[in-house]
Amino acid sequence: MATVQVSEAEKVYILHGIRDDLRVDGRGCEDYRHMEIETDVVSNTDGSAKVTLGHTVVLVGIKTEIGKPRPMLPDEGYLEFFVDCSANATPEFEGRGGEELGTELSNTLYKVFNNKHSVDLKSLCISAGEHCWVLYVDVLLLQCDGNLYDAISVAIKAALFNTKIPRVHISADEEGGKEIELSDDPYDCMRLNVENMPCIVTLCKVGHRHVVDATLQEKACSVASLIIAVTHKGTVTCARKVGGGSLDPESIFEMTEAGKRVGKALHAPLMKLLQQEESLGKTQQKVGFLG
Amino acid sequence: MPRNSGIILSSRCVSGGDIERRTSSHAAVWFITFPCAMPTDNKRVRGPEVSQSPSLFLCEPAGALPSHGPRADGRQRDQVDVRPVFVRCGLVSQAKGSAYIEAGNTKLMCCVYGPRETERKDETDMKCGRLTTDMRFAPFSCPERGSWIQGSQDKDLSLMLHESLQPAVCLHKYPRSQIEVNVMVLENSGSVLAHAVTCASLALADAGIEMYDLVLGCSIRQDGTSYVVDPTYTEENRCSSVSSENQGGLTVAFLPSLNQISGLQSDGEMAEETLTAGVRTCIEGCYKLYPVIQQALAKAVRKAAPPPSES
Repeated sequence: MATVQVSEAEKVYILHGIRDDLRVDGRGCEDYRHMEIETDVVSNTDGSAKVTLGHTVVLVGIKTEIGKPRPMLPDEGYLEFFVDCSANATPEFEGRGGEELGTELSNTLYKVFNNKHSVDLKSLCISAGEHCWVLYVDVLLLQCDGNLYDAISVAIKAALFNTKIPRVHISADEEGGKEIELSDDPYDCMRLNVENMPCIVTLCKVGHRHVVDATLQEKACSVASLIIAVTHKGTVTCARKVGGGSLDPESIFEMTEAGKRVGKALHAPLMKLLQQEESLGKTQQKVGFLG
Repeated sequence: MPRNSGIILSSRCVSGGDIERRTSSHAAVWFITFPCAMPTDNKRVRGPEVSQSPSLFLCEPAGALPSHGPRADGRQRDQVDVRPVFVRCGLVSQAKGSAYIEAGNTKLMCCVYGPRETERKDETDMKCGRLTTDMRFAPFSCPERGSWIQGSQDKDLSLMLHESLQPAVCLHKYPRSQIEVNVMVLENSGSVLAHAVTCASLALADAGIEMYDLVLGCSIRQDGTSYVVDPTYTEENRCSSVSSENQGGLTVAFLPSLNQISGLQSDGEMAEETLTAGVRTCIEGCYKLYPVIQQALAKAVRKAAPPPSES
């Protein structure tokens, strides 16, 4: 992750502030920074979203392709995640520098979505054993200011909400083989149900307290963080400890409880916002990358 | 293969192009292809890519295990019933420290090299040492054949092993040095990460690397309302027919004397209370394993340097 050097005096300042529930920018320990979400920003994709969380900017593009289902699960489609840390974010990511962080992020995303209820994979099946929809979720990190997991998960949820999968029609042709026909109408498409999709909350342990949505400076003062992916019902789909320090079992229990609380509270406003944006339709003013 | 067909050999990338040499009985023809992004195995002549494991064609579905009643190997559900463990240190003579662990059918070995000079001089840290971990699966270790090239799962497990071991090793005592931990999974029969953590910390202790405490790993698999501790491969990977809420796996790496959790990883979907209860169960499993590991370590030390005989 892009790191900043923090002096000892600054560390003590941040630590004492967090102890009194007052962070450097005035937030409480469980408050997020200002978040902006915009969907349908890239027209070449089947679904896209851009999320700005403080100074972290993440762009997700989703492309749907027809592929062969996995041998062990012939009646389900699947998702493939790829995270690219662009060299725009920080010079550390130039060349292959960002590859390690990218693989870590993609592997965590695979774990978060590795369950039956997050995405309805059976609806992605076209014909069992032969064709299915494969959704390639490509995440691009444009700017990095801490808290990548949260921004990426919100962006993926928004992009999948925005995804329009064209309807296909299987017909038998003359020789008995199957032919796939795509509907001519560009608006005749299938949408995904993102209700059960989890959002990731990162809790950093700073001193004796934990903070949500840590900036890079706060991250430099913490030794360990807990990443927890929570659905709107409060189910935990993935929990993981990151960082080179160790945590007390009691802190872990406290942090999972706080993570569940914060994560649950994140879903309702997010869905409301996405539906509001969708309902604006053509009248929506596109902000794009210059706003 | 018919007698007159050519043999295709591919050599490593040379100056930006992949050069394939096709030899036949008549002439040698050189082909230059564009370099591809995916790492390919250039050392072996691979069979056709469409080969599949015969287990896909089994008549009855492989994942039809009951979720109640005793487990296949006689252990109990809903109890901290870990498999009996066999550990031995100091098996690899070339390594500074090594350990081998067997739990049921899961077999792993770990070697530790170091502390030695950092390979890449620009990454030398003046104040503390570096710990590098590498976890690999032998291709024949899992029921489906894996490839020799490190997949993303191997890298992910190596990273989690690193995160679990780092809090325990006193890296500040080895400035400008590098300690390498290599784990090789010989047979994967479930809860591989948990046993890898235990094996690695044993190997580090055998190498004489200073540590705050041993790191022990334990994993559980939650299936509906019941859980199984130290699951086998079939218990880990089966998709239960009952699509209930609590389905998932959890692995915890724990430092028993200091009561600290150094690694935690869960997937699947679980309620928060189930996750908390699962962590407590894993901690109990680690405490059960602790005396065995301590004994094995003491035995290895006594063998290496026997106490002076009373005369």
